[in-house]
Amino acid sequence: MTEFQTFSKMKELMTAYYFEAKTTKEKPIAWITSGAPVEFLFAMDIIPIYPENYAAMCAANHQSVELMEAAEAQGFSQDICAYARTDFGADILQGGPVGGLPAPHFLLCSTNICKTVIKWYEVIARKYDVPLFIVDTPFVHDGLTDDLLEYTVAQFKDLEQFLARITGRPFDHEHLAEVLRLSQEAAAYWKKILFLARTVPTPINSLDSFIHLGPIVTLRGTQGCVDYYQALYEEVAGRAADKIPSVPGERYRVLWDNLPVWFKMRRLENFFQERKCALVVTTYANSWGGLSNYEDEEMADPYRLLAASYLNVYINYGFEERIRYLSGLMDEFSLTGFIMHSNRSCKPYSVGMYRLQEELSQRTGRPGVVIEADQNDPRVYSDAQIEARLDAFIESMEAAS
Amino acid sequence: MYDPFHEVLSDVRGTILKQARALDRPVIGVMPAYFPLELVYASGGFPVQLWGNRLAPSRADAYLQSYCCSVARSAMELELAGGADMVRGYAFTSLCDTLVNLREVYRRVVDKPTVELSIPVTQTAEARRNYLSSGLDKVNRGLQEMAGGRMTPESLAEASELYGRVRALQRRLYALRLERAGLVSNLDFYAVLKAGSFLGPEYYAKLLSDLLEKLDSMDPPEDSGPRLLLSGLVYDPLELHRILDRLGVRVVQDDFANGWRTVSKETLAVENLVEGVARYLFGPAPCCCLYNPENDRHDYLVDHARKAGADGVLFWYLKFCEPDAFDRPQLMKRLTDEGIPSSVVELELSMQNFDAIGTRLSAFCEMLEG
Ligand code: SF4
Ligand code: SF4
Repeated sequence: MTEFQTFSKMKELMTAYYFEAKTTKEKPIAWITSGAPVEFLFAMDIIPIYPENYAAMCAANHQSVELMEAAEAQGFSQDICAYARTDFGADILQGGPVGGLPAPHFLLCSTNICKTVIKWYEVIARKYDVPLFIVDTPFVHDGLTDDLLEYTVAQFKDLEQFLARITGRPFDHEHLAEVLRLSQEAAAYWKKILFLARTVPTPINSLDSFIHLGPIVTLRGTQGCVDYYQALYEEVAGRAADKIPSVPGERYRVLWDNLPVWFKMRRLENFFQERKCALVVTTYANSWGGLSNYEDEEMADPYRLLAASYLNVYINYGFEERIRYLSGLMDEFSLTGFIMHSNRSCKPYSVGMYRLQEELSQRTGRPGVVIEADQNDPRVYSDAQIEARLDAFIESMEAAS
Repeated sequence: MYDPFHEVLSDVRGTILKQARALDRPVIGVMPAYFPLELVYASGGFPVQLWGNRLAPSRADAYLQSYCCSVARSAMELELAGGADMVRGYAFTSLCDTLVNLREVYRRVVDKPTVELSIPVTQTAEARRNYLSSGLDKVNRGLQEMAGGRMTPESLAEASELYGRVRALQRRLYALRLERAGLVSNLDFYAVLKAGSFLGPEYYAKLLSDLLEKLDSMDPPEDSGPRLLLSGLVYDPLELHRILDRLGVRVVQDDFANGWRTVSKETLAVENLVEGVARYLFGPAPCCCLYNPENDRHDYLVDHARKAGADGVLFWYLKFCEPDAFDRPQLMKRLTDEGIPSSVVELELSMQNFDAIGTRLSAFCEMLEG
């Protein structure tokens, strides 16, 4: 991991966040999916808790196996998303880095990342006997259309009423406007940081961006989040100006598609460092650059803009758009190849990926590889197999250069 | 008595071709689940339901990873192997993550048109209606292109009557099975049901009525093995029903997406198509794939099992089907709390060896009988 000074600030920010969530007596707690419109919660002083983020932390801390086994012992199949299994286990054992998550008062779930989260949250809703609000953001097969936008906006408005009922206060539109501004600002910084990776050599690599995702996922809409990414932006921009590489001797520049492998961060980092291969850009970290930050000057209605931003998520889009986006990144970031993580946990991200690889290679003329892994379950991960594939891929980039 | 149905299953391809010729309609492949066949028929198509098959994936392996369910993999295998060459286009619903992506794969790999009925799962009632309404417009346009006909009030009414009749007859068969448990073997029962996937509605309705007429005067054998309710996505592989038959199990009711969850649907109300389709999708039986807190799966399943007088519930789990897998542990616990024993078997559609499952089932039956 590149040694950013800002890193310690992130730790502080995240610790304070979890501390407040674990100790608050006044504020309601909502469990929320990573792609759900959190701004509505902040507008009503509700603390959002992100089980996905927590599951990732557990895996990065090498605690996911024990937790998943606890869930599996209760009958949850190994076939279901490892994030869900990890969190079920963390809930059963009150385990993981902060000893389990504070119990929810209600749940907010958006389908823009997958339909799996509905099932996951249904389980939680039943267990805690709490309400579940779903913002259904259907898969966009053929571009954003009016019906999709209207459908999503109508649900936002309904969500406001739901939150008013839950808190017993009228929905605070003024506060929402402020939160949206902060959220947009943070997302814009995040995007700018990721765009600095267009610099050759890149001052930040994708393993760094995975590590620094915490606040943009969990705290977008707060001032602390804006301040943090502003500081990080300045630091990374300084490095870009000084041409300090995140991977010394950078020779290959690569895109990573799908979630990281949270339990192999360190090992993969060394692996890529040794081979002078920089992971430069990822579809995953990029996703949070677009949330609450949809750019369309024609669209005046803030609700429609917000709807567009929450529908406009990479994995919520059809393959044509995915390929167009990926090939754009390949050029914009001067990439020499791409790695696709066929993630057993994440079907919406992965099913059909081999086809994407084929087409993207054809379209860009650059090599790509698919590796079979999982973001949270080390039991289905083989170092030897994956590293052999990655080595072959790096050789193919060498041959193509 | 059951020969006509088994014959269909022993030559699905020949059957479809013959039926399509007789109907003079283009074949439209309908993927799981709940795409109203009525819409396809009313647009001039002959809907054939593809709930997966027994082909082991080889060509489909190039596109679909091993962690996709065998419904998706085998359906694509059939297409790539040329077994679905008579299918002119495909109708999907947005049932699960796998199917949503599968449609995207088809759009790039298979040179045939597709439509998707995107099912809104919001609880915001008006939004749901509006979205469904625009979704149905898209489906309508897509089907028109694919099947060549135009959906009219008359064609809808006709289709609704035909498929409504088919399901009503299937419900009679379900009722008969419940009242006279053991009269129809499990294998025959599901063969009768499955044959309907590949037949024109009128022809199938005739076969069903003839069968029901014969069955009407027959009595079941003396009481024997345990009464089970089966729950899962699909009732395949049929081979497993042969094993249940051998064990003397009497399946008295089910909760399969292509079984009772579909069969229980009333005649599609077409005067207000949006309302009609909404009702069709979300009731009366709940489904693990369609979020609907107003129709709770737990209460439903307990009630369903009780009404059927089931001695136990068997979860028929198709590997890698997440919607089903998520629900099961809590459902099993609830059933236990209600004093209803349950067990689970893990399946793949292309599986060949049923020994381990057979042993498991026999242990479950012994437990129920003990
Ligand atoms: S990893 Fe994939 S399947 Fe799991 S919660 Fe995230 S988006 Fe959904
Ligand atoms: S069996 Fe399950 S995973 Fe497979 S297509 Fe059906 S609902 Fe989707």
